[in-house]
Order: sequence, then C-alpha cells, then structure tokens
Amino acid sequence: MSAALELHGVTKVYPGGVRAVDEVDLALEPGEIHALCGENGAGKSTLAQIAAGKISPTGGRVSGADRVGLVHQHFELVGRLRVWENVVLGREPRRGARIDAAAARERVRELARSYGLDVDPDAIVETLPVGVAQRVEIMRELAREPRVLVLDEPTAVLAPVEIDALFRTLETLAARGTAILVITHKLAEVLAHAERVTVVRAGRVVMRSLVAETSIDAIAHAMVGGTIPALAERARTDVVPAFVARDVAAGDGAHALREATFEVRGGEIVGIAGVEGNGQTALADAIAGVLPYRGTMSLNGRTLETLGAGARIGAGVRSIPQDRQREALVLDWSIAENVALGDHDRAPLRRGIAIDRRAENALATRIVERFDVRTPSIRTRAGALSGGNQQKVVVGRTLSGAPVFVVAFQPTRGIDVGATALVQSRLIEARNAGVAVLLVSFELDEVLALADRILVMYRGSIAGSFERGAFDRARIGALMAGA
Amino acid sequence: MTARMRPFAGPVTGAVALIVVAAAAMLLAGASPIAGFAALLRGALGGPHQVSETLVQTTSLLFPSLAVAFAFRAGLFNIGAEGQLVMGGLCAGLAGAALAVPGWVAIPLILFAGAAGGAAWGGVAGVLRARFGGNEVIATLMLNIIAALLANYLVVGPLHAPDATGAETSELPRSSWLPLLLPDSRLSVALLFGIALAVSLAYVFRSTAFGYALRAAGDAPEAARRAGIDLRRTALVAMALSGAIAGFGGATIVAGVLHRFNVALSPGYGFIAIAVALVGGLDPLWILVASFAFGILQSGSLSMQAYAHVPKDVVTFVEGLAILALATRRFVAPRTAGT
Repeated sequence: MSAALELHGVTKVYPGGVRAVDEVDLALEPGEIHALCGENGAGKSTLAQIAAGKISPTGGRVSGADRVGLVHQHFELVGRLRVWENVVLGREPRRGARIDAAAARERVRELARSYGLDVDPDAIVETLPVGVAQRVEIMRELAREPRVLVLDEPTAVLAPVEIDALFRTLETLAARGTAILVITHKLAEVLAHAERVTVVRAGRVVMRSLVAETSIDAIAHAMVGGTIPALAERARTDVVPAFVARDVAAGDGAHALREATFEVRGGEIVGIAGVEGNGQTALADAIAGVLPYRGTMSLNGRTLETLGAGARIGAGVRSIPQDRQREALVLDWSIAENVALGDHDRAPLRRGIAIDRRAENALATRIVERFDVRTPSIRTRAGALSGGNQQKVVVGRTLSGAPVFVVAFQPTRGIDVGATALVQSRLIEARNAGVAVLLVSFELDEVLALADRILVMYRGSIAGSFERGAFDRARIGALMAGA
Repeated sequence: MTARMRPFAGPVTGAVALIVVAAAAMLLAGASPIAGFAALLRGALGGPHQVSETLVQTTSLLFPSLAVAFAFRAGLFNIGAEGQLVMGGLCAGLAGAALAVPGWVAIPLILFAGAAGGAAWGGVAGVLRARFGGNEVIATLMLNIIAALLANYLVVGPLHAPDATGAETSELPRSSWLPLLLPDSRLSVALLFGIALAVSLAYVFRSTAFGYALRAAGDAPEAARRAGIDLRRTALVAMALSGAIAGFGGATIVAGVLHRFNVALSPGYGFIAIAVALVGGLDPLWILVASFAFGILQSGSLSMQAYAHVPKDVVTFVEGLAILALATRRFVAPRTAGT
C-alpha cells in the first residue's frame, strides 16, 4: 500500500536557530487514524503545518502534501459568514457572475449527511458553539476531498459528548480511506480510537508504536522524557464557609447563569462540572466583578455587591481567567510587569504614586521559581512564553496574592502534562492551606481528580451536587447532558 | 500596541528611505536634491537665528505630539490634537487679553486656561467614548473642524477685539508674555516646559501606578478590566489629559510666540504631531528627538523653497509618507501577521 503522506528527514529551523522539527520521518497509510503526541512546544503544530504544506521545511522531503486538509486548533473561520459560505469560501460554485447559493447549500447538506456532521448550513458561524464550529471547519476541509486530514488538538475545546461525536466522524472518514493524523497531548481519548502513535519531544521522534502494543504510561513517559510528577497530597482541613452565593443570576441569552446558590468553604475545592456554555462563564465573571448580577455574594461574611473588580481582588477574591492571553496577561509586557497586574494599585507593589520595581521583581522571581516558569529571565515578554509557562505565571500571580477565594477557570486548558500537574498541585496546596477554591472545568476527569465536592451545571442552574467519596461518574455525566 | 522602538534598526532604515524618497521628489520637481537638502539644513540650522526658529517649531510640535502619545498609550487614537491646541490657544488668548494683573499671576493663569480649554475639548471625545462607546477617532476628527470654525466665529464675531486686524484677539500685555530664552528671538521658556513635561511623562509611563493602569488599558483592555482598571474612566481621563497637554501647547504659542490668539496659530501642528509621536515610538524622550527632527523640516522647508526652488510641499509629502509608513506598520501589519 502506498502512503497517503510521507515525510522524510523533515527539519524546520526558525530564524534565530530554534530547531522546531528535527529530522522527522512519518508515513500515513490510507484509512488509518494516527495519533501524534507530544508536550506543548514539542513541534507538533509546526509538523502539522509542514504536512499540510502551509510552511516549508528547511530540510527533508514531503510527498502528498497537496492533498492534506488541516483543521486548526483555533479555527480559521469567518465568524460573520454563514456555514455554507465558510465551507465553499475560495471555491464558490458559480452561476454566471453570482455565487450559486443553492448549489453550495446542497453541497453542505450532502457533506453533513455523508459524514454525520449535524450542522445548519444557514447558521452564522460566530453564533455556533465550539463543537459545531469545529464541524464546520472539518466540513470545509472535507469539501476539498483530501486524502489526509490533519487535526491540531481537536479535543482541546470539546465536551465529552462532542469528543465522541468527533471520533465517530473520523472513523467514518477513515473507513472510506482517508488517512487521519490527530495531534494531541491528551492521551486516553485518542488512544481509544487511534491505531498507531508517534511521540515527538523537542522536535524529534522519540517513540513509534502500534497503540495495541503500548500503554498510556509508556507514551506519557516518552512525551515528558521521564516520569510524570505526582499530584500533591490532599491534607485534611477544617472547613468553614468562606464564599457564599445566594440566588445569583447573570448574563443573558443561552449562556446565561439562571440561578446559583452554593457555598465554597475554606480548605475545600468545589468543582463545577458541565459542558461549555452552561453558565460557567457568567458565574465566574460575576464573581470577579466584571459582569453585573442579581442575588448576593459574600466572603467571610462581608458583602461583595458594593465592590468592583479591583476591590474584590483586594478583598481576596482572585481569579484565573479562562483565556490567559486575552483576559489575564499583557502579552507585550515582561513577566515582571505582568505579575503586578491587579495588585498594581495597593501595597506592597504600590508605594506612593510609583510601582515598587524591587517588590515587583522580587515577586516575579518568586513566582518563576515556585511555579517552575521556564524562561530566560523575568524580563522576557509574556507573549514569548509557551502556553504552559504563561499559565504558570497567571496561576502564580493568583496564588501569591494571599487569596481567600480562588476561581480557577479551565486552569489547565491547552497546557502540557508537566505544567498541568504543577498547576493542579499548587491548587491542592492552596486548598490545604485553607483557601476556598472554585474549580470550573469542562474536563470531567480534572474535576473528579481535584474536587472535594462537585456541582453539576446545566443550562445556567446547578443540577446536582456530589461529595467526594460518592462521585458517580455516570450520574454526573448524565446530569451534564441534561438528564 | 506599545511596540517599543526596537531600538535603532527600524528608525534608521526608515529615515534613510525617506531621504531617498525626498530626493526623488525633488528631482521630479525639477530641482537638485543636494541643493535642496543643503538649503533645508542651512535654513534650519545655519546660524543662531535659524536654530532658534527651529527650536520654536520643535516646541510647537512637542506638546501636541506628547498629547497624541499620551492618548495612544491608553489605547486611544486622538487625532484631535489640532482642535485641542486651537481651543487651548483660544482660551489662553481670551484670558490673556482680559487679565490685567502682574505677569507672575497672569502667565500661570493663561497657561492653565489653555490646558483647561484643551482638556474640555479632549474631554468631549472622552465622554462620548466612555458613556456611549463613540469612536474617538471620528469624534476628535469632527471636533477639529468644530474648533476651527468656533474659534473663527468667536474672534470675528461676538468677541471681536477693537485693535484686531484679522481673525484674532487683542494683544496680550507685555508683562504676560513668556520670558525669552534668547534675546531677539521668538524662543521662549516654553521649550523648557516641554522638556520637563516629556521627562515627567516618561516617568509616569515607566514608573507610576497611574501610567501602569493607562498602559494596561491600552495594551490589553480585557486583562486590565479584570485587574480592576476602569476602562471608561481611563478613556475619559486619558482624553482629557491628552487634550490638556495639546491645549497647554496652544497656550505657549499664544503667550510665547504670537502674543495673541490668531486662528492661523497652527499650520497643522496637531496633525504632524501624529507622525512625530509614531516616529518617537510613543516614548516621550524619543518624541523630544523626533520633534527636533520635524522642527528642522518645518523651519528648513521655507528656505528650501526660497533658495533651492524646491516646493515646500516636498516636506509635507515626505511627512505624509512617514505617517503612512508608520501607520501601516502599526495598524495593518499586526493584523496580517497574526495567526
């Protein structure tokens, strides 16, 4: 059988001498699902771009790249356009000088039927949930009838149900002879569907195997080049109510928070389980003081309603926002400048009218050390760090500011195994030290691993509550889906 | 947005490219570039008188340029420095003509009136933005036109001065003129005020909590909002202070150079200021240098026209090119380069 795509000794050296990809050989057979695993920064995305012919390698050979479709991690769709317009963009069927909309819609419906991709051709893309938007991106690539489909971290933004749907689609495709390369650092779900796995580390292939002949541990070991750090121990803590929310409602539309009453005690992690778009964002924003809400909140008996975002930080309500690059960091600034954000207006970082540079540098140095931020210096631009290291800076800043109550929203989204373990451990340690932690995550496994108590959110309300020791995975999953 | 001038590579290449283009433009205009540049430099730096005139232009450019940079750092594109400068000049001129008090009282009041006038004018755009989400680019652009027409109407109409020969206010009493740095020149202490302001602003941006919040609002508004920085208040304050700086500049032209308000007090300083601020990389200290460079162009262009027969529009043309090139780099390049 001839390979659908072959890479021979492919190397990519970026200006500045970074060898992102180093002498990689990779062959994809028609009809196989192949997992490409590696930590963030291992060169997976660069390899995907080379495979799809989007960037040219500085060494080696690629054959078959002209028939490769690439599904990006951050979709490349035109939000204001309709689904069918996105799918045919650049190769619109025409009738005279006009676009033949009827033919285009029919093409989309046919693709939808053929691959079991449930999408309304006339929906405006920016109004779609991420899972559906991803289907549009996949559909756009399929419309070009590729022999190879490369998906860059496709599960990073999906809920469990959507992940299952995605793999059903991919299996249909594979059965019809398309070769599929799934890039990921999340192992379990992918290995359940892939036949072969290739692991890259620091730009080089460090492992190739049939999935049937290996294990998650072996792959994880190859990815990090050693054993995965264990999570911090959870200690017994005396729990006292710290944060109390009563009848809180916020936002509007489908993603609104309708009604939430709960408390988070000092020394416990309360995990919010739920599929994205069920009111979690509105809840976190209301707590952070950046979204108006009805109802009441208090921290250690102190009412929060009168406090704005800055005053809440001062009172000990600190957040790890979901979008670190947009909501948490100033990418053009150094690490040192970033650690002051939110605390720039009060002692010890503010002295008189000035920011105390020495205190700022000391804080940055402490965070870099304690949170293992891999950076040449605290003067390095935040935007130059990898996603995992950016997140460590954000988590470090949040936990270093004497928090009473921490809201951690998807704190390990899109970061590598090592960084994930570190972030999770620091959250557990904060809990052990008596901090109240509210963990919002779309990954049920993360909630199950960290939480002392789980609240399930569905359509803006709390649909169920579970204590540690009585976690019922199936029951929680069913509540997440609205059962 | 802070694109710190990656120190010199960019500006030097840019300056060389502009010189080449200017030379080509002179050739097209049928003049010798060598003679043209020589006349330009002689006109700007050829003697004490020329140098002092260049510094007068530098001063006039410096305030609006710092004003543009100040708003820019907060993420606001204030293209209304011209209107704020005019309103500042008008208020200063009216105050100066009306005040019959000793200079040491009058001068601070005149300068304050200028800053207040500019602040009010910039503040209008700030309020529109903060309260109604109005685009400050359009608001300040419109306010430029309103300022020019309003000033003209007031000095020709209801506030017409008996001794005025054109669209201007009465002359300020001699005691209210800004002291000169050089005798027999038009160069006043305003230059020192400008330098002091540039140094202070550099400190504000680099070291103060206020400057930090301002830059955060400009560079990452969503992160700033979550850090407790009030974006509306920041927009309002930044536009008002930006206007105050430009208005102060207008007052220094009135009290230091013309000694009265005249509707023609600015040949477009507020617009050239956008180029100066961008060439200076929005860094107040580099803007000092850039203002001097543009001051040379301003004051040398007339003698270039007179002695080398190069139309002074060549300078306007080159300034326009500089704005275009810098604006392209700043606003267009980041979008296409983004992933």
